[in-house]
Amino acid sequence: MSEHVVTDPRPLAAVLVSAIAVVFIVASYRYPNVREGWSVLAALAKFGIVASMLPGVMDGTIYVWSLEEATGLQFVAGVDFALRADPLGMLFALLASFLWIFTSFYAAGYMRGLDEHAQTRFFAAFAASLSTAVGIAFASNLLTIFVFYELLSLVTYPLVAHNEDSEARIAGRKYLTYTFFGGGVFLLAGTVLVYWLTSQAGEATLAFEAGGIGLLTDAAASDPAIAQAAFYLLIAGFGVKAAVMPLHSWLADAMVAPTPVSGLLHAVAVVKSGAFGVARVYLDTFGLEFPTAFPLSVPFVGDVPLNIPVAILAAFTLTAASIIALRKDHLKRRLAYSTTAQLSYIVVGLSMLHPIAVLGALLHIPAHAFGKLTLFFCAGAVHVETHTDYVSEMAGIGKRMPLTMGAFAVGAASMAGIPLLGGFVSKFYLLIGAASGAEVATFGLEVIWLWIFAGALIVSGVLNIAYLWPVVYTAFFESEDRHDAKPLLEFRAGGQPESYGVLEGEPNGVVATDGGRDANGEDDGREDESVIDEASDGTTDHGEDDDAPLPDHDDPERDAYAVDAHPSDADVPFGPGSSDSSDGADSEHVHDHDTHEATGSHDEHNDDRSSHDDKHDHHDHHDDHHHHGGAPMGGWERKSPVTFAESTWLMLMPITVIAIGAITLGIVPDYAVFLELADTIVEAVTGEGVR
Amino acid sequence: MSDVDLLPALLVVGPILLATVPVLLGLRYDRTGWSVALGTTLGVFAGACYLALEVYSADGVNREIAVIHELGGFSQPMGIELVADTFSTLIVLLVAGTALGVLAYTRVGGPRGNTFYSGYLLLVGGLLGLSMTGDVFNMFVFLEIVGLGTYALISSGDGPESAFAALKYLIIGTVGASIYLIGVGFLFMATGHLNMHALGGEIPGLEGQNLQLARAGFAFIFVGFAIKVAQWPLHSWQPDAYQHAPDGVTPLIAALVSTVSAYALGRLMFTVFGGDFIAATPYAAAVVVTVGAVSVIAGSTLAVIQTDVKRMLAYSSVSQFGLIVAAYGLLTETALLGAVIHLIGHGLMKAGLFLAVGVIALGYGARTVDAYAGLAQHRPYVAGSMAVLLIALVGIPPSIGFIGKWYIAVGAIEAQSWLVAGVIFLSTMLTLAYVARLLERMYFTPRSALESPRGTAGTEPGPAAAGGALTDGGRAMGATAGRRVTIGMLAVVALTAVIAVVLGFSGDVFTELLAPFIESAELEVSP
Repeated sequence: MSEHVVTDPRPLAAVLVSAIAVVFIVASYRYPNVREGWSVLAALAKFGIVASMLPGVMDGTIYVWSLEEATGLQFVAGVDFALRADPLGMLFALLASFLWIFTSFYAAGYMRGLDEHAQTRFFAAFAASLSTAVGIAFASNLLTIFVFYELLSLVTYPLVAHNEDSEARIAGRKYLTYTFFGGGVFLLAGTVLVYWLTSQAGEATLAFEAGGIGLLTDAAASDPAIAQAAFYLLIAGFGVKAAVMPLHSWLADAMVAPTPVSGLLHAVAVVKSGAFGVARVYLDTFGLEFPTAFPLSVPFVGDVPLNIPVAILAAFTLTAASIIALRKDHLKRRLAYSTTAQLSYIVVGLSMLHPIAVLGALLHIPAHAFGKLTLFFCAGAVHVETHTDYVSEMAGIGKRMPLTMGAFAVGAASMAGIPLLGGFVSKFYLLIGAASGAEVATFGLEVIWLWIFAGALIVSGVLNIAYLWPVVYTAFFESEDRHDAKPLLEFRAGGQPESYGVLEGEPNGVVATDGGRDANGEDDGREDESVIDEASDGTTDHGEDDDAPLPDHDDPERDAYAVDAHPSDADVPFGPGSSDSSDGADSEHVHDHDTHEATGSHDEHNDDRSSHDDKHDHHDHHDDHHHHGGAPMGGWERKSPVTFAESTWLMLMPITVIAIGAITLGIVPDYAVFLELADTIVEAVTGEGVR
Repeated sequence: MSDVDLLPALLVVGPILLATVPVLLGLRYDRTGWSVALGTTLGVFAGACYLALEVYSADGVNREIAVIHELGGFSQPMGIELVADTFSTLIVLLVAGTALGVLAYTRVGGPRGNTFYSGYLLLVGGLLGLSMTGDVFNMFVFLEIVGLGTYALISSGDGPESAFAALKYLIIGTVGASIYLIGVGFLFMATGHLNMHALGGEIPGLEGQNLQLARAGFAFIFVGFAIKVAQWPLHSWQPDAYQHAPDGVTPLIAALVSTVSAYALGRLMFTVFGGDFIAATPYAAAVVVTVGAVSVIAGSTLAVIQTDVKRMLAYSSVSQFGLIVAAYGLLTETALLGAVIHLIGHGLMKAGLFLAVGVIALGYGARTVDAYAGLAQHRPYVAGSMAVLLIALVGIPPSIGFIGKWYIAVGAIEAQSWLVAGVIFLSTMLTLAYVARLLERMYFTPRSALESPRGTAGTEPGPAAAGGALTDGGRAMGATAGRRVTIGMLAVVALTAVIAVVLGFSGDVFTELLAPFIESAELEVSP
């Protein structure tokens, strides 16, 4: 296979097609159908253009468009503004443009389903985001990728701040701060350093070369410290969007955006552009030998290859984020932390530098995209149809949305790496890579590290099941009036010793054999309770102190409140709500209202207790004032999965297609083009293919 | 003396002489000022374009390809010359272009009256003279002309604040010019020359006492211009002047007066003193860099806490000029190139921004950051243009703001001045802090969240509604009654935004255009 470079306007066309669509979208703001038509048309055209380059790229052709060749203008001295479609770029561009087709349908369904405001701005910014994402994919040098990286931050900001309320604005501010710190500060600084280094060794260049920029390696020999700084600045710059800890917290906050944004942008295009950038840094800027050739010398430890700290951070991220996800009740936030974890799979795979691990990491880009997009689409469909956002309110929702939750199960299984699904293939390669790296023990990694990373991958895989399975379980195998407590969500971190004999309203820590005295009608000394609570919180009954802010009432109502505060308590053995209290007709009116109020305080409380949780979780309870989630009175309506009655086809079609895609990736990875592309990339970098 | 050689003199003398015409005609006709100003600036712009063609089509060393006019036929070193070289011609273009563009606003929106346009033309002439003069004493004269023109224009605003701001500018500005003059005195003592070219030849060879004199001269000149360019902590005249000047005047002052002063500082540093002299003077470069870097941080910080948009943009200027001054102090070719590009780019962006602010004040009645809420919905075109300009100001590519920052950053790395490099990279975040605040108000804060700035009726979207607001019979707009937002105003603002973006692809063009000047500065070349 020989590489040859062809000048071709198609990379530019692929970038511009959706940028031009922005104009049409804005122009047809009066006609929603026409406007969405432009979105779909642009998505199809973009995918068509990208796909038309695929056969050539697979045969080793690289399509290049450069501003200098086209107009004679250099972007800045010595650096061209150029786009090129090489295998790595194709991987990302193909993925983003393919998924956009379905997302544009889904977005139309979602935004109309919720009757959102400012839809024109939304669709315009969405199209612009895709334009810049493909620009990132096809950027042929560090400066071009920087340009698109900055533009991507810019055009996704309106999507994050879409709601125009104070929560969205705060999330938007955070988003801008993080992404521009990553782009405008770290990435620019790293780019300037690379520019300067290469200018010292010869003519300044920033152009990517498979296997690393040659001049940069030469220059690094004379000035290793600067080269190392450049390496870390670039990694940090891309790491912000890849949500590697400690730069991850914008991602969970960005979930205030409408779900199509969370799905395509904050699980695929934006965050993957970060992971993709890390791949560019490893594979095409510094090369796989660089981290070992110029190790950091750390006191007391000795020489540490540059990739080790990155891999450690990523391994930490993927474990920690999975653990945090366990305790997120808001489904989108849970998925956001899952994304944080999964992105670090990619970073860790790249950082292991072994060809097979790199292959696995690259393959994980599409594998995770299909799986996570399915999950987000499902979460969004559930939100549109039932306004349910919290896992704890989803008991029995499988009846109402069977197809959606079925697709959710597929996505969840893919995330967890269950065989026959996309996620398995990539994780398989990642693990094989870690293991074979351990055999060879080159690439700068001590054997022990590789096993640690492999262990982290496996542990995180188990945690994936732990945080996604409960959603599937509660949807299909529990019912709204009969379901268990969610220990990880409702109890304090680390669990709590539970005595099921305690009734609501009992003094804490007293297990009364006689059933205790009746729930006190008079003021039962809340202050006392909280004091006791603090003193002996090992024996509190499950979360009953949550209803502290509620006023006291006479008994039946008290019961009703307690149940409403914790629908999940209803079936805890001996629990106070297992009786008929929730059926009381007189409490129906207050039921809904109090559910969300109480859930709010409940979440807040949870957070107080788990100080390691993200501080910004207070949004959770803020959210509560907007929605009335959970099962309607009388339980979920039962809908058939085959009649497509559970939602509009605009949302169900994309969900189905993407879920099928995730299965396809798992069953016939050889025929889904991504594996072959990834192999081509690895071959170009290391000289030989993996397969 | 060929025809082209006359152009520099015509460009300077023309506006200054024609400045008398509006006053004279005003004795008989009411509204001639604008037409005279338009004719003059059109002529100036055409002349500037022709001059640029001449200068940039020639090949050779900076001094050779420059168009030089010797005033009165007295040759240097005795005579005064006007020099249009590759550096000053760019500034001349900026001045001519901006002066023309601002007229599109003042026709309907700005201060009217013939005396205003006299001041306007006087200022334009002074600025062009300041850009092209090749004589350090003559530079002082033009500084004073510019100062007087600015004073006249600022004080043409309504209310006591304008008068106070103008007086403050007059006093502080004159102090700056006087300090500069003292510096010139030292230089004259040391070398016996006032001509820049001659000084540039003499200064590197100075020794002993003369060297000390020249160094003292440098110190005075730098401090004098630090006032004129409004570097922290000598910036205090500038926010008042920008804020209280009439809306039609602020773009001119903000885009040109400080810019041309910063240009003059660069001219003096690199044509008169030269990089070697500054590098050899202990602490000189370090002081310049420090003043610039501190201004970047202080200016941005102060900008973030402002409530008035014009004032916020004024502090932003303090910060952006800090970047330019710091780049001067780095003494590398790339940094100097970056400084010049940023000088042009910043002038352009600020002109557009202040014009947009004027349009918004006129059509939407909003002057504070809070009052900008919901702007994007009600005035989409001006809000969009302003957003583009603001984003360009942050330095997000592709935009002229990024090109300048890129070269300055590369220059800082070349000079291995890590601290400055850090400040430059962080300046993105600092600028973003105040820009994002405004953008958030404009786009993501519904207007209903705040009290409507001027009544409730007549707020249907679109710029055309601006004038129609009067039909609501609500409260009249006081001083701005009868004025409306015209297509011309919007077109100029939008055009500026487009230029700011398009120039973002042309970093290389600037490199080539400015190459002769950069070489003539004889700075350290990138290794």
